[in-house]
Amino acid sequence: MIEVKNLNKSYGSLQAVKDVSFSIQRGEIVGFLGPNGAGKSTTMKIITGFIPMSDGCVKVDGTDIGEDSLSVRKRIGYLPESNPLYTDMLVYDYLEHVATIRGVAKKERHGRIATVANLCGLAERVGQQIATLSKGFRQRVGLAQALIHDPDILILDEPTSGLDPNQIVEIRNLIKRLGENRTIILSTHNLPEVMATCSRMLIIHNGSLVADGTPADLQAREEDTQRVKVVVSGAGSEEVKAALSNIEGAESVQAALTAEPNALAFEVMGQGNTALRPHIYQLAVEKEWQLIELHRQVLDLEGIFRKLTQVV
Amino acid sequence: MESIRNINAIARRELSLYFNSPIAYIAITVFLAICGVYLFVIYPFFEGNQATIRPLMEQIPLFFILYAPAITMRLISEEKRSGTVELLATWPVTDTQIIVGKFLGALGLLSVTLTLSLIFPLIVSSLGELDAGLVLGCYLGLFLIGAAYLAMGLLTSTWTQNQIVAFILAVLLCTFFYGIDALVAEVWTSARDAFAFLSFKVHFANIARGVIDSRDVIFYLSVIGSSLAAATLSLQARNWK
Repeated sequence: MIEVKNLNKSYGSLQAVKDVSFSIQRGEIVGFLGPNGAGKSTTMKIITGFIPMSDGCVKVDGTDIGEDSLSVRKRIGYLPESNPLYTDMLVYDYLEHVATIRGVAKKERHGRIATVANLCGLAERVGQQIATLSKGFRQRVGLAQALIHDPDILILDEPTSGLDPNQIVEIRNLIKRLGENRTIILSTHNLPEVMATCSRMLIIHNGSLVADGTPADLQAREEDTQRVKVVVSGAGSEEVKAALSNIEGAESVQAALTAEPNALAFEVMGQGNTALRPHIYQLAVEKEWQLIELHRQVLDLEGIFRKLTQVV
Repeated sequence: MESIRNINAIARRELSLYFNSPIAYIAITVFLAICGVYLFVIYPFFEGNQATIRPLMEQIPLFFILYAPAITMRLISEEKRSGTVELLATWPVTDTQIIVGKFLGALGLLSVTLTLSLIFPLIVSSLGELDAGLVLGCYLGLFLIGAAYLAMGLLTSTWTQNQIVAFILAVLLCTFFYGIDALVAEVWTSARDAFAFLSFKVHFANIARGVIDSRDVIFYLSVIGSSLAAATLSLQARNWK
């Protein structure tokens, strides 16, 4: 559905995107992941036709964006990173304007606006001026703008940036629902977001694609390390740390944060194939600590992400 | 069909922005006030003992040098500054449609202004005999010269994200083309006539005399056409690799 081949983009001497290639099938929700300045937005701006590529080829449904940008643009709904809006307009008027330009037939416009406003939780705000909306509602207007023509492809650049945790959960659920019958590319530098919404992730760093796969694939690549979280009480911090460090297979022990009162939390890192958790349990029994929590961080993507995107 | 729909949508958005905010009301009020002050206070209208609208009609192209850029300065520069140009560029509209739509929106405001300014010929005609043909010619001339200024103002608005810069550049450009023959004559007296064909003032004077020559009309239409074409190219410059 979307095919990107050897995409390059340079701004003067700065090469923002280097030889990136990937293809995305219909129905995938792809998370585009990377630190700030990695080239996520640049890639998205190229696919949506906002800026030209320096070299390479992007095809959407077999149409080259360089050859027929207009027909590609019709198929895409796009929420830019900065979520620009005509803030002087009322929400309804703005959506009507977009619907007109997006080619929604006149007699269907009202219905479409009502549908997307409901979908994005905007129904009660349609009569309000965009300038008076909070950031969360503006983000929804941006999303409604991207959805108004019911596009097959949605490109969302940091859709949850600047939102509070409740709003983030709402937008994520919305994206998941939308992804049931659409192709979605969303960018973020937030890992839990990708884990919560995406079926596939592309990690981009310094303009190059460094990983491509499902969260599970990427996890499997890193099976040789494990991270175990331990929360205990009934002992001193130094004592516990020293004892944990002596466990067979433990490579490092770091203090961690916990919400439990009067408890100590640690993160023990070790080889993937060692029995860290049984050993820790034994230790707690011997020392008569109260073991409050003991678990292996299952999807340790954070570690993978850091490893892949560390500046060498 | 699709292009007409898009141009119409963009023009309507601009017009509704003018009239949903104080911009249009303030601009029109100030413009009409200046015209009134000029006609009845500055110009010795009542001493002349003659019902004439002509002195005002000859001044309006000068007032337009400030008025038209004030209308157009935000058209593209504000889209660039606020980032909404990214939406425009990723919606299925062509750059030509954007430029023509914006131009027509501004032209709408100018037309409303000119229509309201008909109050002056009406007042004058109630005081004495007024040559209707002359008024008609003047208004055609004003419409054309105003539209040409708007097209040039739209062009300078594509060059910058800063409305003030767009305004100043537009005023300079309009002034230059208004008085190009007089400017050239300052340094090279005998070239005045050679440059007269480029002067907005000369072509306006021809039309305002009530003699509507297709050459004068075509002159303004070609200025409008080439300014809009240049503005479209300037928007497209983002696609240069």
